[in-house]
Amino acid sequence: MADARVAGGPGDVAPPARRRQAHPLVRFLLHRLGSSLVVLLGVMVVVFVLIHLVPGDPVRIALGTRYTKESYDALRAANGLDRPLWLQFVTYIGHALSGDLGTSFRDGEPVTMTLLGRLPATASLALVGIVIALAIAVPAGIWSALHQGRASDAVVRALSQLGVSVPDFWVGMLLITVFSSLLRLLPSSGYVPITEDPVEWLRRVILPGTTVGVVAAAIMTRYIRAAVLDVADLGHVRTARSKGLAPRVVVLRHIVRNALIPMLTITGIQLATILGGVIVVEVVFAWPGLGLLVYSAVAARDYALIQGAVLLIAALFLLINFLVDVLYAVADPRIRLA
Amino acid sequence: MARVAVSRGRGPAVIAGAVAAALLLAGCSTGSKVDVKGSGGAGGASGTLKVAIAGEPDQLDPQKTSSYFSFEVLENVFDTLVEPDAKLTMQPALAKSWTTSTDQLTWTFSLRQGVTFQDGSKFSASDVVYSYNRIIDDKLSNAYKFANVKSVTAKDPSTVVISLKQPTPNLLSNLGGFKGMAIVEKSNVTDKKIATQPIGTGPFSVAKWTQGDSITLKANPKYWGGAPKVAGITYRFISSGATAIAALKSGEIDWTDSIPAQQVSTLKSASGITLGNVPSNDYWYLALNEKRKPWNDVRVRQAIAYAINRDDIVKVAKYGNAQVNELAIPKQSAWYTSYDKYSTNIAKAKQLLSQAGVSGTVKLDFLATSDYPETVSAAQVIADELQPLGIKVSIRTPDFATWLQQQNSGKFDMLMMGWLGNIDPDDFYYNQHHTGGGSNAQGYSNKTVDKLLDAARTETDQAKRKQDYAQAATQIADDASYIYLYNPTVIQAYDSKVKGYTVRGDRAIRFKDVSLG
Repeated sequence: MADARVAGGPGDVAPPARRRQAHPLVRFLLHRLGSSLVVLLGVMVVVFVLIHLVPGDPVRIALGTRYTKESYDALRAANGLDRPLWLQFVTYIGHALSGDLGTSFRDGEPVTMTLLGRLPATASLALVGIVIALAIAVPAGIWSALHQGRASDAVVRALSQLGVSVPDFWVGMLLITVFSSLLRLLPSSGYVPITEDPVEWLRRVILPGTTVGVVAAAIMTRYIRAAVLDVADLGHVRTARSKGLAPRVVVLRHIVRNALIPMLTITGIQLATILGGVIVVEVVFAWPGLGLLVYSAVAARDYALIQGAVLLIAALFLLINFLVDVLYAVADPRIRLA
Repeated sequence: MARVAVSRGRGPAVIAGAVAAALLLAGCSTGSKVDVKGSGGAGGASGTLKVAIAGEPDQLDPQKTSSYFSFEVLENVFDTLVEPDAKLTMQPALAKSWTTSTDQLTWTFSLRQGVTFQDGSKFSASDVVYSYNRIIDDKLSNAYKFANVKSVTAKDPSTVVISLKQPTPNLLSNLGGFKGMAIVEKSNVTDKKIATQPIGTGPFSVAKWTQGDSITLKANPKYWGGAPKVAGITYRFISSGATAIAALKSGEIDWTDSIPAQQVSTLKSASGITLGNVPSNDYWYLALNEKRKPWNDVRVRQAIAYAINRDDIVKVAKYGNAQVNELAIPKQSAWYTSYDKYSTNIAKAKQLLSQAGVSGTVKLDFLATSDYPETVSAAQVIADELQPLGIKVSIRTPDFATWLQQQNSGKFDMLMMGWLGNIDPDDFYYNQHHTGGGSNAQGYSNKTVDKLLDAARTETDQAKRKQDYAQAATQIADDASYIYLYNPTVIQAYDSKVKGYTVRGDRAIRFKDVSLG
């Protein structure tokens, strides 16, 4: 549009057109950032409304079984929960926009600090889990697709079906029984920050990471197998094969490369899911991740903490989606050009 | 296999990037490091006791929390004026002695000398006055324990005087029954650190709280009761019983109470592990909503009390780890009253129902909660047992937060719950069965019971007081205000190298005398 006007309009000046010509990547980034903020604002509104619709009262829970009306009213007022809901909402959004997510109803700590405190454990588990999942699912999925209908394909499919069906707490307990109770090779539970003791960090992340990884691998294997199968039937692959290219080249250059997009998609979804909290695995391994935090915050109706945590999880999802989009462009030049 | 090596391409770069990000993120831990092992300040203390509790404290302000997980920690950090011994009789703690005026309205406490808070500041009468007035003035949940208190004053730095509006025979158990009545430090409250870094006068101080993971305590070498025998305690939060037991067996932890009832039998035979299974003062009960028909008819409530089989309920819900009881108070308590009216009798139950004019199918909405699984299993047994009476039970299992709200607003026909940490009968009978009592959600009202509970509240003659409560308890059960079910046992397991530990019926977890052999 701009180019046409520059060329055709006699009185037109060039500079404004140039100003509109921001780098496509910058434009892309700004656009994504803008829409992400809108999504996050929407998340805040929806979460605020939802948690106040759910029955349960934080004051009542905090006071326990023995309480009097006087102490109920006092605690409610002390935390501003007696104010009208719309006022609480406006205050919350106002503070949140300036970066203040409020304080936890229970221990009075800033929500932001509590959430940041959980990120290292959650990130450790998610990344170790996704690495293990990729290490299993990529070779297994591709192998299985390329050997469609053969015995090895059947084995991979059966195993991945098993992995999808077996509950993760069971996998976790099995690993604890074998590696902690029987072999006494690894600790059964707990988390040590990598900065404190890298070896101990690794020893403790292996079992929960494997549990998360195995379950994610089962799902990813099926996706990757399907993606490779879709590509393997396409005309360009047949052409490549018929012109006598080595099977290795055909697989690498013509099949896998074209199956990368669905692979990236499923990996991104799995990673975001694990980052959002894997409550059952966290419970089994007493892992101080986001999932357990959200669970306990919901149980206590700790509104500020629930809102903060959901916001963080939503932001992580958006971030990973964004990274996946960028990787799409790396993997597929057509996306870059478009 | 060559074909499998496909992930060489961009794959490794992505993975390497992911690992690098993991390392980076994992590095930004917000906790500060504390060296417990090296802090052997306590003379002769050695080793860290590693403990697993079943959940994380909500906060560490003893006067504000109501979470048992908090008290498992705070029991070892704070002191009260008096404290219960193993038989739940009140003994001197921060108060070394006390006297009572002849009219029973003035109690004078002499405080222990030379006691310091864990930050080094001196403990004195003004701390007691501040602590109690904080509970009263801020209307904290334990304020009701001071309902009869006119004033708390410091006569001198080592003497506290409590003036009462009327005689309060259970004042000592009100002041020392649990650490919710702890003596706190004013500056710790005003700087708002008490919720996460509390300072008490107890045997251990809080060194570090890693949220979601653990709390570490350090021995207080200046503790007035003598320095602890271990250098520190690490409390880990392991809610999965199977994981806690695996950790105990493999020596990762030394002590746990994160033990599901169904696992008790497997622990009995485990070598090198001591299993504590002692009767508690807790009780679990059913309550029928007396604001709804037909449950407002005492005969209908009694019919249900006759129809259930407590032995079956204990077998299913507690795997046998409880004593059946038709009243609240267990045999080992000084307040025990024997009572045996409701042995299972379906014929009698049917007769009572027909006398009440109830016929055909009656629907019963049973409010259990998934946060206390024993209420769900018990509800299933009870649903089965009420079928012959034509009562069709539907069970709801919301989380505890929702349960509390539904209980409050009377949205139930029958509910099941437990009442924990009981010492003095006033504490529970009054709340639960006095007309308009704070926890009388079932809407029970009986003038005779009200009179007995009012009288016992101020009765200073112990024998007469016990008599009043026995009579009230019997009437409450006769009227089926509550249908009491059982007193569970306290289940804790620990490594045999843990010496000097006692499993207590009030669930107070005290590690001050523990050593690691």
